[in-house]
Amino acid sequence: MKNFSNRYIFVFSFIMVVIVASLLALAATLLQPAQERNLEIAKKRSMLESIGVISTKDNSVELYDRYITESFVLNIQGEVIEDVDAFNVVLRNEQRKPPEDQHLPVFRAFPDDGEKVVILPVEGKGLWGPIYGYVSLRSDLNTIYGVTFDHDKETPGLGAEINTTGFESMFTGKKLYQDDRFVSVQVLKGGADPSDQHGVDAISGGTITSKALEEMLSDCLKKYDAYLTQNRN
Amino acid sequence: MSSKEKEPLFSEKNRKLFTDQLGRNNPVTVQVLGICSALAVTVKLEPALVMALSVTIVLAVSNLIVSALRNYIPDRIRIIVQLVVIATMVILVDQTLKAYAFDVSRQLSVFVGLIITNCIIMGRLEAFAMANKPWPALLDGIGAGAGYGIILIIVAFFREFLGSGTIMGYPILEKIGVYSFGYEDNGMMILPPMALIVVGLIIWVQRSRNRELIEK
Amino acid sequence: MENLLNIFIKSIFVDNMVFAFFLGMCSYLAVSKTVKTSVGLGIAVIFVLVITVPVNFLIEKYILRKGALIWLGESFADVDLSFLTFMIFIAVIAAMVQLVEMIVEKFSPALYNSLGIFLPLIAVNCAILGASLFMQEREFLNITEALVFGAGSGIGWFLAIVGIAAIREKIRYSNVPAPLRGLGITFIITGLMAIAFMGFMGIKL
Repeated sequence: MKNFSNRYIFVFSFIMVVIVASLLALAATLLQPAQERNLEIAKKRSMLESIGVISTKDNSVELYDRYITESFVLNIQGEVIEDVDAFNVVLRNEQRKPPEDQHLPVFRAFPDDGEKVVILPVEGKGLWGPIYGYVSLRSDLNTIYGVTFDHDKETPGLGAEINTTGFESMFTGKKLYQDDRFVSVQVLKGGADPSDQHGVDAISGGTITSKALEEMLSDCLKKYDAYLTQNRN
Repeated sequence: MSSKEKEPLFSEKNRKLFTDQLGRNNPVTVQVLGICSALAVTVKLEPALVMALSVTIVLAVSNLIVSALRNYIPDRIRIIVQLVVIATMVILVDQTLKAYAFDVSRQLSVFVGLIITNCIIMGRLEAFAMANKPWPALLDGIGAGAGYGIILIIVAFFREFLGSGTIMGYPILEKIGVYSFGYEDNGMMILPPMALIVVGLIIWVQRSRNRELIEK
Repeated sequence: MENLLNIFIKSIFVDNMVFAFFLGMCSYLAVSKTVKTSVGLGIAVIFVLVITVPVNFLIEKYILRKGALIWLGESFADVDLSFLTFMIFIAVIAAMVQLVEMIVEKFSPALYNSLGIFLPLIAVNCAILGASLFMQEREFLNITEALVFGAGSGIGWFLAIVGIAAIREKIRYSNVPAPLRGLGITFIITGLMAIAFMGFMGIKL
């Protein structure tokens, strides 16, 4: 094996660092727009899914602009906070703040059936990692119009079933309020009575994820209580 | 092609570099390398394919680079240099996946980053690329990547087929209609322990067919 | 406090590095032939994890994350160095391992003699880098959480390797089918141990 002088080693490392650093910086700068676009598209697609509009990667931006036209940010008292863009609010960061400082995004959508829908984002902790999604409400601000959930790494086949249409469709038509009291929607192990307006079936084998989902819904939606109550008719 | 007196590009020896690692000298089942991160991505076939491809690319290119530089890399800092080459490749692959294969990159999550510490790569760089010419090193890299990929794909195939009843997301069992006879997916297959047991069974099959590999 | 305990227990039993994520399998399989050496390696892993996870946490928080450089001045608010994550983490790990090795050698030769040979092995142990990447992904709030997570992951890995080593010492006297001997049976036993550990799933304090 050849022996190299210290100076050679130093020069070698220096050149290597310069080459590697410029290569990586170049790649990161070139690819960043595409990466951010992916995140934006994913967010728009799942919002559209919660009002029952199925979109593809290519038409999601266009459909989003057509259906989801208004958005604003509330505080916990239900008052509008000016100058904050609802789309860029990162819910996970908000949830770390004390409740009175949190920004609560609201999106308004106008699907083809003439309903005026509000879309509320939800996020919580599942069994293995975060679970998140969107809940859309009819104009009575009580009946669920549609939901979409997703997860990062719930157990496949068990907890991971929360993002299937079969599970999500059970939420449609359920109600958040009972006699003006916020009760959220319960995820019931062993099955819910179809006439139960506040309950859906849990996922068999996915009890912990189901419970986490129930907690997420009640925690996140309760923060909108003031807004929903004031604006309900 | 120009220099006839040199060894041909696909000589017997060079071909062996590639084919040996698919079976007799497989990096996973025989050399016991690179099991680390990979098994976690074998629940479904698609992420397993992407993972296999990423590892092959990283391995082949780093093998090539290190081998081309082998006479210039100071011995004292060679491990660091190797790590830097690998890490650079992995970052490039990760960034590309995030930009062009977003859904798969979300499923792979941290496991793309863990390619850096995949022992196959360090192992091949240290054992082969540091001592051989670039062309054999490239073949060796592709061979090791493919050998690793084959195990990944076999494991993922069985886990997805038996565990979810699909292949590449296509619900094959549902189309055949076996569910109407009372067949149910084996939920156990998608849980982590079964990946280990499936690899154990693959080793069993391989070693019963090739008795030289049996440990004393 | 309850939160910390939760992270600790979860990272040992539920999110076990070996059984749930297959991390550190290479050294797990290679060094688990006897209990004595596996104890040594296990302790070294705990040691290194306890140091590298918090250090990487600080680096992530104050250098790499988007907007993390804001302490340097307003103009740095938009700098996003997160693409360097892998590179920096692995460099920190390699440097820390080297540093630990030198310190241990200087101040405790006895400890160095028992741990020393394992330390270089550890730099490329996926469990170490894995723990730092999981730390980043789970977005821990403060350094104590990161520390507890590092310690828990290390102890989980220690338990796994000592467990398998004990079983392998006994299994030498068993009549294992020839093709399964060695590697094959180790995989299957690990699988069975992982099934046992799944019993801890869903523990919440």
